[in-house]
Amino acid sequence: MNFKVVLKKMREYPAIVGFIGVVILFSILSDRFLTLSNFVNVLRQVSMQAIIAFGMTVVIISGGIDLSVGSVFALSAAILASIVRNNSIFLGILSALLVGAAFGFFNGLIITKGRLQPFIVTLATMAIARSLTLAYMEGMPITGFPDSFRFIGAGDIAGIPVPVLIMFALLGLIFYLTKYTKFGLYAYSIGGNELAAKLSGVKVDAYKISFYVLSGLLTAASAVILTSRLNSAQPTFGVGYELDAIAAVVLGGASLSGGKGSVIGTLFGALIMGILNNGMNILNVSPFYQDAVKGIVILTAVLVERED
Amino acid sequence: MTGKILEVTNITKTFPGVVALKNVNLDLYEKEVLALLGENGAGKSTLIKIISGVHKPDSGEISYLGKKVFFKNPTDAIKQGISTIHQELNLFEELTVAENIFVGNVQGFRFSKRRAFKVVQELLRSLKFDLKPDEKVKNLNTSEKQLVSIAKALFLNARVIIMDEPTATITEYETDRLFEIIRRLKENGVSVIFISHRLEEVYAIADRVTVLRDGELVGTKYIDDVSRDELIRMMVGRRIEEMYPKFNKPTQENVFSIENLCVGNFVRDISFNVKKGEIFGIAGLVGSGKSEIALGLFGHLPATWSKMVLNGKLLKPEKNMLKHKIVLVPEDRKQMGLILELDVVKNIILQNTDEASKALHISWRKAKDITTEEVKKYSVKLASVHQKVKTLSGGNQQKVVLAKVLRKKPNLVMLVEPTRGIDVGTKVEVYNIVNRLANDGVGVIFISSELPEILGLCDRVLVMHRGRAMGILERHEFSEERIIKLATGVEER
Repeated sequence: MNFKVVLKKMREYPAIVGFIGVVILFSILSDRFLTLSNFVNVLRQVSMQAIIAFGMTVVIISGGIDLSVGSVFALSAAILASIVRNNSIFLGILSALLVGAAFGFFNGLIITKGRLQPFIVTLATMAIARSLTLAYMEGMPITGFPDSFRFIGAGDIAGIPVPVLIMFALLGLIFYLTKYTKFGLYAYSIGGNELAAKLSGVKVDAYKISFYVLSGLLTAASAVILTSRLNSAQPTFGVGYELDAIAAVVLGGASLSGGKGSVIGTLFGALIMGILNNGMNILNVSPFYQDAVKGIVILTAVLVERED
Repeated sequence: MTGKILEVTNITKTFPGVVALKNVNLDLYEKEVLALLGENGAGKSTLIKIISGVHKPDSGEISYLGKKVFFKNPTDAIKQGISTIHQELNLFEELTVAENIFVGNVQGFRFSKRRAFKVVQELLRSLKFDLKPDEKVKNLNTSEKQLVSIAKALFLNARVIIMDEPTATITEYETDRLFEIIRRLKENGVSVIFISHRLEEVYAIADRVTVLRDGELVGTKYIDDVSRDELIRMMVGRRIEEMYPKFNKPTQENVFSIENLCVGNFVRDISFNVKKGEIFGIAGLVGSGKSEIALGLFGHLPATWSKMVLNGKLLKPEKNMLKHKIVLVPEDRKQMGLILELDVVKNIILQNTDEASKALHISWRKAKDITTEEVKKYSVKLASVHQKVKTLSGGNQQKVVLAKVLRKKPNLVMLVEPTRGIDVGTKVEVYNIVNRLANDGVGVIFISSELPEILGLCDRVLVMHRGRAMGILERHEFSEERIIKLATGVEER
C-alpha cells in the first residue's frame, strides 16, 4: 500500500485515525495506559456499548434512529434476570432476546405503517420500555443467579473476556450482513434514497422493520452481558446508552441523514469513547469535566469528517 | 453589443481522474445573450461553476470589467455582479418572496419586513413581474421561482446573469415569458449566459453560441451564421443523420392492454393497448396525469382497472408489478431512479440482486461482472464501476438507470421523460434503445412532454388532458398542432 492509498483509507475510516490519536496521547500522558491488561480492560468495558452501537449503525445507515435502546436494554435485563433466577438460563436469554426483537418490531412497524418519524416513535417507545421496566421490577434490583450464568459477563476463554469474544463475533456478523448481503445493500439504499429503492423493487417496509429488530436483538444481547457481569439487573440500566451508541456511530463516520456508515467505524468510535473514559480515569481527571472532553471530541470528529 | 464585460482565458480544471476543462476560452459582451451548448459531461457546468466562484481553476484567468479577478466563493462573485441561477433554485421554501430576495443582504442587524416588502414590491413592479412580495416561495411554481431568483440577482445589481438550463422544467408558455424577460434584461444592460439543450431556444434567444465538447472549446459563432445541423455536429462531433432514428416494426399483435384504468385523482378511466413492435406514446402537459399512468401501472400509486392483459395473461392490481416484469424508467433519475451516494455496481445490482446473490449473500465479483457488461452495452462513460453515481454526468446517469431497469428482459417498459436534461448524443442512443426494445417484442410506452420526440419516435400517441384521455392519434394523423389542441383540451377526438 502506498501513501495515497493509506491516506484514502484514513479518510474512509476517520475513527481509526482518532483511535490511534487517543492511544498515543494517553500513552504519553501515563505509563499505566499502554499495557495489555489495560487494553483488555478497555475492550471489556467497551464491548457492551459497542454491541448496541452495531445495531444502531444499521438503523442509522438506513436513515433511521433508535432512541429506545437504553430502555429496551433495561427491560430485557429485567425479564432475563427474573427468568434466570427462577427458571433456566437458556429460557432467560431467549426471553430477553424476544423482548428486544419485539420492541424493534414494534418500532419498525409503527415507523413504516404509521409513516412517522423514527425519532418520535422511538422516543415514545423509550418511555414505554422504561416505564414497563420500573413497573416490572417495582423499582428494585433483581439478583441471585446460578453461578454458571456469570460466565457470559465475567468469564474468559484463553485470557480473553467472553464479552469481548461476543463483541467480535457480532462485529463479524454485522460486518458480513452490511457488506456482503442484500440486507446491507438495502440498508444503504434505503438510507440513500428511499423512493428509488422502492421503485427498484426493494421491500422497503419489511427491511426497515428488520433493521429495528436487529437493533433490539443486539441491545438485548448486550443486556444479557451486563446483567451477568454485575450479577444483577437494575431498573436504571441503560440510561443514556442511546446517546453513547449514536456518538459511537457518528464518530465512526456515519451520517444521521442516512446512506453512510460502517460497523468497523462504529467499533473504533466506541473504542475512542472507551479509551477517553479509561484514560481520563487513569489520569484522575475530575468526572465533572469528563463529559465535556467527550463532547469536544465528538464535535472535532464530525467537523473533520464533514465532506464539502 | 459594445465592450467585453467578461473574458475567460485558458481555463483548465481537473477532478480526480478526469480533465473537466482543457484550455477553454469564453467571452461575453455587454447586453449580450450567449448560449453555452454542449452534451452532458462537456464541461458546461464546470465552466459555469468556475465563473461563479464555486470551483477554482487549475490554471487560466478570468477578467471582468477589464480587470483580472479571482472569486473566492460564490458570494464574492455575486457581490461583484455575477449571479447564477442554478437548476435547483436555491430558495427558502418557507420564506416569502421579499424575505428570499433580502436573505443575505440585510444591512445591519435589524430586518424590517415592512421595508423589505416595499422595496421588493417596487422592484417587482419595475421588472413587471407578476409576483406578490408576501407570498411564500413554496406556493410558487418553478417558473415563478425563477423570477424570484432573477429579481434577487437584479436586486444585487447583477451585470452578468448565468442561467443553468432554466427551461428544463418549465412549460412552453413560461419559456416564452422568460425569453421576454431576458430580452428586457438585455436592454437594461445585463448580459446573460444561457445554458440549454434545446436548439430551438438557442436560436430564439441567443446572440452568439459557444460550444463545448469533452471539456474543450469547439468554437464560438454568431447565431445567425450557424445552421442547426452545424451546431449539432459541433456538439456531438459527428453528423447526426437522423435526430429521431426509427427502425421498429409494428405488428397487429397485442402485447399489453388496459381497460378503465384509474389512478387516484390523477387519471380517470383510460383504456389503451400496446402492440408488439410499436412505440406507444403518451403526451400531455405537466399535471395532465401522464406520468401517473406509469406510476399506477407500476404499482407505486394505488390504481384500479377492469382488465389488464400482458402477453395473454390477465393481471390484477398489485403493490409490486415488477414481478410481472413491468418496469419503469422514472421521470426524475436523481429523486426516483438512483442512489446517488452509492457506486455504479450497487445501483445496477439493486434491482437485480437475484442474479448476483444466493439467499441473502451477494457475490460482489458477480455483481461487478454484470455491471461491467452493462456499462459496455450502454457505453456508459466512467472512470471506474466503483465511482459514485452522483459523479457521473446526467446522460451517463440515465444510462445507468436504463441498464438497471432493462437488465432482465421486461415484458412492458414504461419510460417517463427518458431524455429530460440529457444531451443530443445520448438522446439518440436512448431512441435507438427504445426501437430495439420494441423489436424485441417488449411492450413500450413512451411518455414525454417533448413533442418533437413523440412525433419522431412513436407509432401512436395517447393525448392526456386533466387526467382524461383526449384521444389516440395514429402516426399518419400526427401533427404538433393536433396534439397541442388535444392536450390543452381545445379539441377532443
